[in-house]
Amino acid sequence: MINNAAYWIALAHLPGWRNERINNIILRFHHEQKTGIEDFFQLTEAEWENSYGLNEKEIRDLVNAKSEISNNSFLAESLQNQGYELIPITSPDYSGTLKENLKIKYSPAVLYLKGNRKILYEKSVAIVGSRNASDTSLKFTDNIAKLASKEYKVVVSGFARGVDKQALDSVLKYKGQSIIVLPQGITTFSSGFKTYYRQIVDGDILVLSVFHPKVPWRTDLAMARNSIIYGLANEIYVAESSESGGTWSGVKDGIRKHRIILVRKPEAGEKNANLQLIKLGAIPVDFDGNRIKEVYNTEQHAAKEPGTVEEPEENTIDTIKSILQYKPLTIKEILGKIGSGWTRNSLTNYLKKQDFIEIKKKGNKNLFNLKGTEEKREPTLF
Amino acid sequence: MVVVDEAHCISVWGHDFRPAFKRIINLVNLLPKGLPVIAVTATATKRVEKDIADQIGGGITVIRGSLMRENFRLYVIKVKSEDEKMIWLGGNIMNLPGSGIIYTGTRVNTEIYSRWFDYLNIKTSSYNAGLDSGSRIEIEKGLIENRWKCVISTNALGMGIDKPDIRFIIHTQIPQSPIHYYQEIGRAGRDGKPAIIILFYNPEDKSLPESFIEGGRPAIKKYEQVIQEIYNEPLGIKDLMRRTNMKQTPVRVIKADLIEQGIIREALYGRNKKLEYIPGAPKLDTAVFEELRMVKTAELNKMGEYIDIQGSRMKFLCDFLGDTYASEYSNCDNTGIKKITITDDPVMNKTLAEFRENYFPELKVESVRSNIVNGVASSYYGVSNVGAAIHRCKYEQGGDFPDFLLIQTLRAFRKRFGNDKFDLLVYVPPTTSGNLVSNLAVRLSSVLKIPVSHKLGKIRLTKEQKIFENASLKHDNVKDAFKYENPGEISGKRVLVFDDVFDSGSTMKEIGNYFTKLGAVLIAPLVIAKTVGGDLDDQ
Repeated sequence: MINNAAYWIALAHLPGWRNERINNIILRFHHEQKTGIEDFFQLTEAEWENSYGLNEKEIRDLVNAKSEISNNSFLAESLQNQGYELIPITSPDYSGTLKENLKIKYSPAVLYLKGNRKILYEKSVAIVGSRNASDTSLKFTDNIAKLASKEYKVVVSGFARGVDKQALDSVLKYKGQSIIVLPQGITTFSSGFKTYYRQIVDGDILVLSVFHPKVPWRTDLAMARNSIIYGLANEIYVAESSESGGTWSGVKDGIRKHRIILVRKPEAGEKNANLQLIKLGAIPVDFDGNRIKEVYNTEQHAAKEPGTVEEPEENTIDTIKSILQYKPLTIKEILGKIGSGWTRNSLTNYLKKQDFIEIKKKGNKNLFNLKGTEEKREPTLF
Repeated sequence: MVVVDEAHCISVWGHDFRPAFKRIINLVNLLPKGLPVIAVTATATKRVEKDIADQIGGGITVIRGSLMRENFRLYVIKVKSEDEKMIWLGGNIMNLPGSGIIYTGTRVNTEIYSRWFDYLNIKTSSYNAGLDSGSRIEIEKGLIENRWKCVISTNALGMGIDKPDIRFIIHTQIPQSPIHYYQEIGRAGRDGKPAIIILFYNPEDKSLPESFIEGGRPAIKKYEQVIQEIYNEPLGIKDLMRRTNMKQTPVRVIKADLIEQGIIREALYGRNKKLEYIPGAPKLDTAVFEELRMVKTAELNKMGEYIDIQGSRMKFLCDFLGDTYASEYSNCDNTGIKKITITDDPVMNKTLAEFRENYFPELKVESVRSNIVNGVASSYYGVSNVGAAIHRCKYEQGGDFPDFLLIQTLRAFRKRFGNDKFDLLVYVPPTTSGNLVSNLAVRLSSVLKIPVSHKLGKIRLTKEQKIFENASLKHDNVKDAFKYENPGEISGKRVLVFDDVFDSGSTMKEIGNYFTKLGAVLIAPLVIAKTVGGDLDDQ
């Protein structure tokens, strides 16, 4: 356990703070000031206000958090004694994949781990999907887990019923390795640690949580946990999604964050929302996870399937807006993210007609930009 | 501020290493910067001091005070037998000022000495780690309130006792090292007024601490078994005792060693503490055990030196603990105080012989939910010829129990239950030893005029209790194993329950529970011999 773990626990779980706000503070003291988290907590309230631009509520939160640091030491010791690890975002041991995918905006300030930490640095595949998934989806999950394990890729899953559980069971069946991302504090997972004791001892499972170690399962944590699953994975496979719920919002969130999301192409007659996700920009894949290359005519396909609803144009606009919210892109880049259904020309013509789009010249390239946004630069620390 | 008391427990080189104290080092390193930490102990050698400083790393300042205790009067009394110790104490303890503590080496001796003082009408109390926490707190309280002349205890009593006016501390058994000794006598005379410190020594006494050192660690095979069990599944101490058929003490020793070596750790599963294997753990290092054994042997030899030195005893102890303060030493029987020697005391000698003839071990089985009362044994098994006689009859086809066992048992009965009336004599149905117990029960019945019943039987096979090393397994072995043929007969009765050997008490307690359920108003255990040891050993 790192010696300043108590400080990190204080900073990481400030009530109601977004990751980005916390990360900006970390950037400032670690990257710009080149000081430690202990020094940050030693600052006066005036320095917090002036040097870090914190408001009254934020300063109050920090004062409260600071008063808990001694108690956090006892918690940290207890965690250490029981074999839990705490890894702060400034540590070289922090997951590079997670930082790269979630950036400063969404990366959690600390990771709590128990199990084989080396798994965190392997190539990884997330398999997500509904709690009440169909047999076909579970078989797909099993197959993807099998292929991943064969290629020594780690499977990331969320320890829920359905697809998550199948992914984990299959990984263990195929002698692969898995990261379980918890929707709760890591010390509240006793039954799981008991069930997967031997796999943890043998180094095949890593349990990870980003929440306060003692907080029990909550719906909002389950939702927040999804973005960590996506963030930890190099590839994301969706076995099955309904039109609402964790998988649905998780995938949409992933698309908004420009992740490549591979969705199982449904068979005719399947009642799920996989097609809608594909229309939103996810990429269809076959049973073996291979991308389906042919131009995918969503309208034609949808017409054959009475169970699905045609995508309203509003959604396309939302998708384009979300794709462009961070920086301007070329038509080729937009095509890559928005997925099938468009040709280069049809998309260019479509975008030129939209009043929220402006075209910027960069060298000999046309960049499409959302009006009113400036290009932001990501800090290099992350 | 964080304050650590008894800080010597942090080091394996300390005389009383406790694995939980190791966690303090980790905690200290995790505490916020600038939070002051002070760790104190009265008993750290240079080696312990250095070990703790090394573990904490930089930023530690060591302050050593003088260990000289001028108010102590240190004596060593050489004796030739246990009897001589008992005779001297019997004749002299009331002449010692105030109240104090007598440390004996074993639990059995706390009981024997305490009963000896009872016999002499001297008020004492006995204490050991096997007592429930309520009794322990009560005795500690009584000690502080001077309710008794002294408390007779194993080394379990002491840490955390804050009584300024302990006027004497007597050891009937040589401690394992000068540090143990200094720690234990250090509790005397904290008010600065004179305190008498006596160590009895009979050359035979060294065999007890020697056996602790030699046999202090379980066999390596047991370590490996524990590692394998924990590798397969997270387990608690009780689970491990069941799996490995080991007593609590050796399981704890193994646990401490394996945690120390980074092979296992203790984690919470819900509310239960369980031991788990640390992935990628190193192999068991047995060389460390050998090194510790050598250090402990050297320390015991140092204690032996203390007996025979000609110079100051206080200086000897201070030197051993690394105290460098220069002091004047004139507070022992080598430096100006008159030596105590054993002189013949025919009266007390006779009294002790009478006591020995009338001393019968108590069987502690009482509990709130059962109508069973504490019983009596005619002797200890293994301490007298009683045990040998039982063994001959049970396992070497030696025929019926000899008459002297009947006579001895009757005497124990009269001593303990002479004034009680019983309606029924029931004996414990045997596992293997044929009719020995029932035959003796019949003979007891005819002498005592209590009707004997042959109706207590077993509804399932049990194994001999002696093959189980701990109380949990013994308890499981006899749980719900008994059935009385005509249950209505027990209701409202006062029942004497007879057996040959009493070990952990599981069998008697089980019968007590069963008969309580059937409506017995009193259940009294009577046995020929009680084994020495039981499940929980001090040490």
